[in-house]
Formats: sequence, structure tokens, C-alpha cells
Amino acid sequence: MSLPTDFGPDSGGRIKGLTIVKPIVYGNIARYFGKKREEDGHTHQWTVYVKPYANEDMSTYIKKIHFKLHESYANPNRIITKPPYELMETGWGEFEIVIKIYFHDPNERPVTLYHILKLFQSPVTEGAPPTVGRALVSESYEEIVFQEPTQLMQHLLSSVKPITNGPWTHDTDFEDKKEKSLERIVSAQTKVRNEIAELKEKLHLAKETISKFKDEIAKLQNNTNSMLTGL
Amino acid sequence: MHREVFALLYNDNKELPPLLPTDTGKAYKQTKAKLGMRKVRKWVWAPFTNPARKDNAVFHHWKRVSDESKEYPFAQFNKLVSIPSYSESEYNQYLKSEDWSQAETDHLMDLCQRFDLRFIVIHDRWDRAAFRDRSVEDLKERYYGICATLSKVKTNPWSNSVTMVNGEKRTYHYDAEHERKRKEQLRRLFDRTQEQIDEEQMLLTELKKIEARKRERERKTQDLQKLISRADSGSTPLVQATNNEGSATPANVAANIARRHDRKIHKKKLTSQQRPIRAVETVTVEWSGIKFPEARGTGVWLRSQRMKLPPGVGQRKTKAIEQELRLMNIDVAPMPTEAICKGFNELRSDLALVLDLKNALDSCEYELQALRHQYEALNPGKTLTIPSSICSTHTDNEAKPAVGEIIDVVGSPSALNATI
Repeated sequence: MSLPTDFGPDSGGRIKGLTIVKPIVYGNIARYFGKKREEDGHTHQWTVYVKPYANEDMSTYIKKIHFKLHESYANPNRIITKPPYELMETGWGEFEIVIKIYFHDPNERPVTLYHILKLFQSPVTEGAPPTVGRALVSESYEEIVFQEPTQLMQHLLSSVKPITNGPWTHDTDFEDKKEKSLERIVSAQTKVRNEIAELKEKLHLAKETISKFKDEIAKLQNNTNSMLTGL
Repeated sequence: MHREVFALLYNDNKELPPLLPTDTGKAYKQTKAKLGMRKVRKWVWAPFTNPARKDNAVFHHWKRVSDESKEYPFAQFNKLVSIPSYSESEYNQYLKSEDWSQAETDHLMDLCQRFDLRFIVIHDRWDRAAFRDRSVEDLKERYYGICATLSKVKTNPWSNSVTMVNGEKRTYHYDAEHERKRKEQLRRLFDRTQEQIDEEQMLLTELKKIEARKRERERKTQDLQKLISRADSGSTPLVQATNNEGSATPANVAANIARRHDRKIHKKKLTSQQRPIRAVETVTVEWSGIKFPEARGTGVWLRSQRMKLPPGVGQRKTKAIEQELRLMNIDVAPMPTEAICKGFNELRSDLALVLDLKNALDSCEYELQALRHQYEALNPGKTLTIPSSICSTHTDNEAKPAVGEIIDVVGSPSALNATI
């Protein structure tokens, strides 16, 4: 196989000017047992996961995903090498799970995500008893950006296959969320820009007034001085 | 409980231990214990003489038959120190001393020989009836002095206080003065009373306090220097906005105004004489908000990392920005798409700018207040009006100019002159 010189060792094996973005979704789903389990006091069954945002098989470019659980779990370092990248456990408490994604090309450094395992409803609905059976989902959207990937990585990234023939959906409507967030940010931006303009104007006026005041005082001082000398 | 014992009591099939002896073979009883492969060596109660003793005393002890002919093994530890000797003429020639008589020196050398240079013992056995009392240091000084002198004039290596280094004679030099001081210091340290120890502790803590205060003062002076130099070179409002933290709370306002007042006068004198147009210049100063780091060259990264505030942004500012975001119902960690990242960063940069501008405006207002006070002091009964749009909310209820006539600042100077 002959390689184009652009990708040779001179260029560090990286493809100049290319950026590939892979959106992902990570988080957890949790289910309440309905009671505290006698043997260990666990109350919830939960699954933490990393999945592609689009319908594609991430194993073509991801080598493994390392989930680091709370120290109190037996063997807290769990490594998943095949999709689905998920891990089912039971427990009674929330904690931060460190998720480290490794890629097939060892030249690409792994990326680290942090997810707070969520078992209980947010305080908004607090007071209501935990519902049995209905799952609680806490997931986030993230984008992995491959800037100037290596040739191997570029090849792997662009040869992904769909993971399922059926529809690929998420519990959270990210498209809607994306739109709304952007809308809010843009409107806030216009508002803040207006405020800035207004403030700048005020500041300008304030500075001018300051210099005027100073002139007045200087004049007054000169007058008193001349009066004194005149006397 | 030991594992083996436990296993005897509770094994897996939970059988009881057998009640009847099952092992009928010849066990430990018949076989003779073999403890060593060699033949037993005999011990005997035998007399011995110690060659280290000169009195030929005979004692008895247990020893092996095989060791009968050997010498008493501990005799080898009887080491003798070689003490230098001198003749009458040598003494007269080299060792004469004003302080020491020959008899006394002889006595010293004798004691050294007898007690193997154990100077504490020598000091104890010193013949105080014949000679005057000497300290351990005196004795040592004299002894090592003699050694040094003799090693210079004599050639035979008689003493262990002489060592040969690179073919050169090296003598041990005894620094009596240093030893005396050292012992005196130790004695004093030991003789301190509890009160003295307490006082020393107290003084040490006091010293620490004083040094801390000194450092604090130096730091403050430096800060002030910086402030002054910045005020001279740059825009005053910006300096005040960054240095007068916490002044925005209404409770501090009154106190701050008073403090600012004299500082401002001092500063104003500087600036109005040297750069009269400085205040107008500062209007053009550009604020920049937050500078987010540029995208890195190569490699994998997460989009959300782009939204981290750079470390230069202080905690106070971060908190304030987050508060503003919450007021506008915007997630403090929104979905990290490219567009949202860009917009979100710009928005936060703008918010930081707003905060800066508000601070600057606040300090301008304080300056105006101060100038008005100054004006009123110079020209009693008159005042200046601050444009109402500049006033921020917390000063709105402050006393509006009520006394005397109000002079329009843009009014003609003649009007001003007429009122004087």
C-alpha cells in the first residue's frame, strides 16, 4: 500500500486541516427496588453507559471504555471492550463515575468524562415517594473532537457501520434541547450586548462629567489663589 | 484459632472426630529423637588464668574439653593505651610550663597511664592535697599539649594520638577554649528555670508576630506603590474597580467615600497638574471580557472542555457570571455543540465585560461624589449636579443637592464668577 506523502512521517502521520466530530451520549438509568434490600441495604439497580448519538458502531474506533466506580465496590475498575458500553450494578448512593475512553490508535490519547450517578429525583419533585419500576434517566450529550486525526484513526472513524437496523433513539430529546439552548443564548447575547452599549455610554458620560467637575474645582482653586494674591 | 485446629473441628462433611484411636502403628514413642548429627562434646569445670592480669590469680569456669589448651579468650580485649614518656632533660628542654610544675605533670601522666586516658576518672582521682584543683579541660589541654610537642621532637611512633597521613605526622589538637565554652553553654542551658524557659517561648512567639506584621506592612506598601504607579500610567477607574473589592455593598459606602475622599484628592492633585486630559483619554480604554484559549493543534478532545473558563478568571467573577446565567434561565453547562459552545463563551465574555463596566461605573460615581464634596467644601452653599443616568440604584436615595443654588456644570464661567 502506498501512502500519499502528506500523511508520511513528516506530517506526524496526521491529516492536516481535518476535524472529525463524533457526538456521544453518556449517563445512567436507575430503577428503585421498591424497598431496601435486606442483605446489603441496596435500594436501586442502575446502568451507566456510553452510546453513540448517531446510529453507528463505535467499536470500530474505540478500543475500550474504563468505568471507575466508587471505591466501596468490589473491583471498582470495570473495563468494557465491546458495545454496548454499559455496566449494570446495584447500590444505594450517588457518586461520580470516571469514564475513560481509549481509542484503537495509541497515538490518540484517551478522553475522560465525569458523570454523577443519579438515583434520586431532583429536588423539584422531592417529597413524592420514589416511584417503583419507572426508570430515572440522567444523561448528557458530548462531542468527541478528533482534530487532525492520524491516518489510521481517520480510516477507522470514517468506516463506521450502523449498530442497528431499527430506529436509534434517546430518552432525552437532545435536538429540542440543542435548539432551545441556542435560542436562549442568542437572545441573551443581544440583551447583554445592548446592556454593554448602554453601560459604555454611561461610562463615557461619567468620565466627561468627572473632567468637567475637575475643571470647575480647578477654576475655583485658581480663583481663590488669585484672590489671595490680589489681596 | 489455627487453620489446622479449625479444620479438625469443622471439616466440610461435618463429621465428628473419631472416638476410638484409629492409628495403631508405632508412632513417636518408640523412635529415638535425633537432634544432631555430631557427637556430643563434653564440658569440664576447669581452672584458668587470665594473661591480662599480672597477679596470676586462678579462677574456675566451665569449658569444652577440646578448648582446654587454648588461652582465655577475653584476654585479647585488654588493650593498653600507649602514653608518651619523657626524660628529665626532654622535659626541661621542651615541656616546661609556667602553670604546670614537673611533679604535677608527672602525676598527670601517671594517672593517664593508670586510668587509660579516662579523664573524668583522672579528674576524680586528682591529688588535690598536693596540687591545686584542675578542670577536666585543663588536664586534657596539658596532656594533649605534651603529646603534640613530643611528637614533633621525637621520631618514634609511641602514641595513638599521632596518625600518619600522606607520610606526614598529624597530631590531635585539643581545643580547650572551645570545650570550655561548649560546657558552659550546656550548663547554662541546663540550669535555666521554668520561668526563664517560659519567657523565652513568649519572646519567640512575639518575634514571630512582629515579623509577620512587618511582612504585612511591606506587602501593603508594595500594593500601594503598585496602585499609585498604575493610577499614574493607566486608567484610574479600572484600577479602582479592581482594587476596591467589596466597596459596592451599601454598608461600606459611607466609610469608603470618606477614605476615598482624601486618597482621591491626593491623586487628583497629581493628575490634574500633570495630565489634565487623562480622564477623557480613559474613555477609549477597551475592555475585553474573557479570552478563551484557542483550539489546540492536534489530538482528541471533548467539546465541553472548550467551555471551561480559563484559570485567569477569578472565583468571584465566575460566581457572578453563573448567577447572571441562572437569572436568564440558561444552563451553566449547556449541551456542548460547536454553535452552543461559541455562543455560550461569547455570552460569558460579554457578561464579564458587563461586570467590569458596572464596577468601573461604580467607581466613577464615587469619584463624582468625592469631587462634589470637594467642590462643596471649597465653595460653601453651592453644589454640582451629577447626571442622574449615571447614578446606580443604591445611591439613588442619597441626598440630592438641596442647599443653595445649583450650578450647571456646563454653565458659563462668568455665572460662576458672579456668585463668588
